[in-house]
Amino acid sequence: MGILSIRRLVGIALLAVMAVVTVGCGEEEKGPFRIGVMESVTGAGETYGTVAVQAKQLAVDEINAAGGINGRMLELIVEDSKCNAQDAITAYNKLTDVDEVKIILGTSCSGAMLGAAPLAEKEGVVMFSGLATNPDIAEAGDYIFRTSLSDATVGVDTGNVLWADGIRNLATINESTDYAEGVRRTTTAQFEKLGGQIVAAESYPSDTTDFRTQLTKILSANPDALHIAAQAEASGGTIIKQVRELGYDGPIYADVVPIGTTALEIAGEAATGVKAITPDLDPANAKAQEVLAAFRAEYDYVTLPWFLGSAYDNVYITAECLKKTGDDQDADGFRDCLYDITWSGTIGVDYSFDEKGEVVGLSNAVLEVLPVAERTEENGGYRVLGAAPTN
Amino acid sequence: MSIATGALRNIQDVARDPRSWWQRSKGNIELWANLIVIGWALAFMLWRGGGFAITVGSVFAIWAILAVSLNLVVGYTGLLSVGHIGFFGIGAYAMAVLSSNASYEQLRTEAIPTFGWPFFAALPFSVILAGLVALVVGVAFNRFRDDIYVLVSFGFAVIAFTTFLSWRNLTRGAFGIHEIARPAIGSWVFEEELEFLALLLVFLGLVVLIAWLIVTSSFGRVLTAIREDEQAIAVFGYHTTHYKLAIWVISAMMAGLAGALLASWSTFIDPNSFVLLESVLLVSIVILGGLASIWGSLLGALAFVMLEEGMRFVPFLPSEFIGQIRQVILGILLVLLMLFRPQGLVGRFKL
Repeated sequence: MGILSIRRLVGIALLAVMAVVTVGCGEEEKGPFRIGVMESVTGAGETYGTVAVQAKQLAVDEINAAGGINGRMLELIVEDSKCNAQDAITAYNKLTDVDEVKIILGTSCSGAMLGAAPLAEKEGVVMFSGLATNPDIAEAGDYIFRTSLSDATVGVDTGNVLWADGIRNLATINESTDYAEGVRRTTTAQFEKLGGQIVAAESYPSDTTDFRTQLTKILSANPDALHIAAQAEASGGTIIKQVRELGYDGPIYADVVPIGTTALEIAGEAATGVKAITPDLDPANAKAQEVLAAFRAEYDYVTLPWFLGSAYDNVYITAECLKKTGDDQDADGFRDCLYDITWSGTIGVDYSFDEKGEVVGLSNAVLEVLPVAERTEENGGYRVLGAAPTN
Repeated sequence: MSIATGALRNIQDVARDPRSWWQRSKGNIELWANLIVIGWALAFMLWRGGGFAITVGSVFAIWAILAVSLNLVVGYTGLLSVGHIGFFGIGAYAMAVLSSNASYEQLRTEAIPTFGWPFFAALPFSVILAGLVALVVGVAFNRFRDDIYVLVSFGFAVIAFTTFLSWRNLTRGAFGIHEIARPAIGSWVFEEELEFLALLLVFLGLVVLIAWLIVTSSFGRVLTAIREDEQAIAVFGYHTTHYKLAIWVISAMMAGLAGALLASWSTFIDPNSFVLLESVLLVSIVILGGLASIWGSLLGALAFVMLEEGMRFVPFLPSEFIGQIRQVILGILLVLLMLFRPQGLVGRFKL
């Protein structure tokens, strides 16, 4: 009896020592903060996903080189969510079950975001996107945040610009994707609310290369202006080229895609004067220029600068919140931090999140494409005219 | 049935005389393929455990139903269809539209009518709708054979995708449909992923049973005869078109079932899940597993899902192009497999 209890005592003491040692060790040398990243690095959204991953990696390298967050490094675990809901769900489960992350940065495709968001909401995992723009995401839940502007805001601003420019009869052509369709729909709604009239509307599936039939039909309605909403740069550039070839010389308005680098190469001189309404980096923002220069130094190219900056800012916001919570497993603390935070970074000054996790304090800009002779790699082929008017 | 008795006989053989069993089994590629894929899957699940294995299991079950259904048409009857993803999508969209509870009023995107049916009411409707569409399409398809059949089924897949994308008043187009209902029996909702996996496996078992009954019946023998020589079997007085139409509709209904299950499993669908590429992947699963073999389709789906998800664990890749490298490795593995085993893992014949 006596011996047994002594043994038991020794056993308990040993266990206690082991527990203290284990906990002590854990306190002493903590591993890096582990953050999940879900982007469409293959498939339809490849350009966006790749830029986003590279921008995030750039930010992480900078943070780690500067000594990490309170001495702890930051580590990204990248998963491919492709551009559809099912792959996003498997990627999400891999990140949360196998890697046990509680904070996920992504995704770049709205469809992938909407696929994984219900799970994240149910399990209390934060999803924080810099690129997804589908208006539905606003309603996706308490743990879902984004710095990207909803398509609804792009559309409203586009409608205002059109009206302010004296356009009354508008023709639209859009790619049948969630993003392009969202832009077309909200633009039309705002434009009609102001009193404008849609005289022709066409849509085309992705991968279309010949738009002449649809454009001829549109032009026969004699619009004051043409609005293009595209998701693939190739189609946006081709439309601009073909509509000019058909003899149309009126104003062209677009979302950001038809004035991307590839699109401008396709369209050439035809694109001169095309106006795009989109979130864009402020040329006066020194931080933005610094980030673009760093990105170019690291990867030798720059594309989609706003999305690049948005993804980059996400990492710094994440780092700031991790500094406060000190725990990458504390999703609730991280969420509360996001609701409270006001941030100045690459994509804007003093922006924050509203109660739906939507970004406030950022606005769209009006861009105008320059003649071919004036296009350089630095200016991206366009100049910023100013902020979109509000009504 | 036959698998179970076969396995039992194998175990008895090994126990009685291990050396001669080894001599006999050494060159049996089928056996080794089975053991390797299944052993790999088990090791993977034990290693990673938990929730991710359940997700992978669910994805496997859905692809397996699809693969078995397609094998009935491609493997047994010899009609190379790449349009099956269309029926998959029809089943998914029928389930989504009928059972979604989402209200879109507060959104600035388009709204569609909500019916709010429970899962088990929408399920038979989805399956029957896929069957009806297959009946109409099949009547036309029966006029074509061989290469042309591939082309018209390709056309069907494209039309189906475009319909999902463009019929905005019903499918919300590219926005997709969310809040699709999870199955519920009384007050018991299949909320947990494990419960849903169990349900999926029950349906998979049902599909395998039906497929097995078909291929072992006289009906199944006529299908095989059509594959080997359609004119010869027609000479014996069989209306081959009726047989082809019947198996086409049955197969499409199974694909519709898989689609309905997918919609309920993921609770969100958009047209991106039903692109032609997925259809091509499906055909490669069937060929990878083995034509005219139900067991092969199960194995093919397992191997494919494990390859794709296993790729997530390939170490030492820089994060910037991790996705692309995975795709390349997957492609190379498929090419190698076809090079050295063109009849698939356990298949009986090649295309």
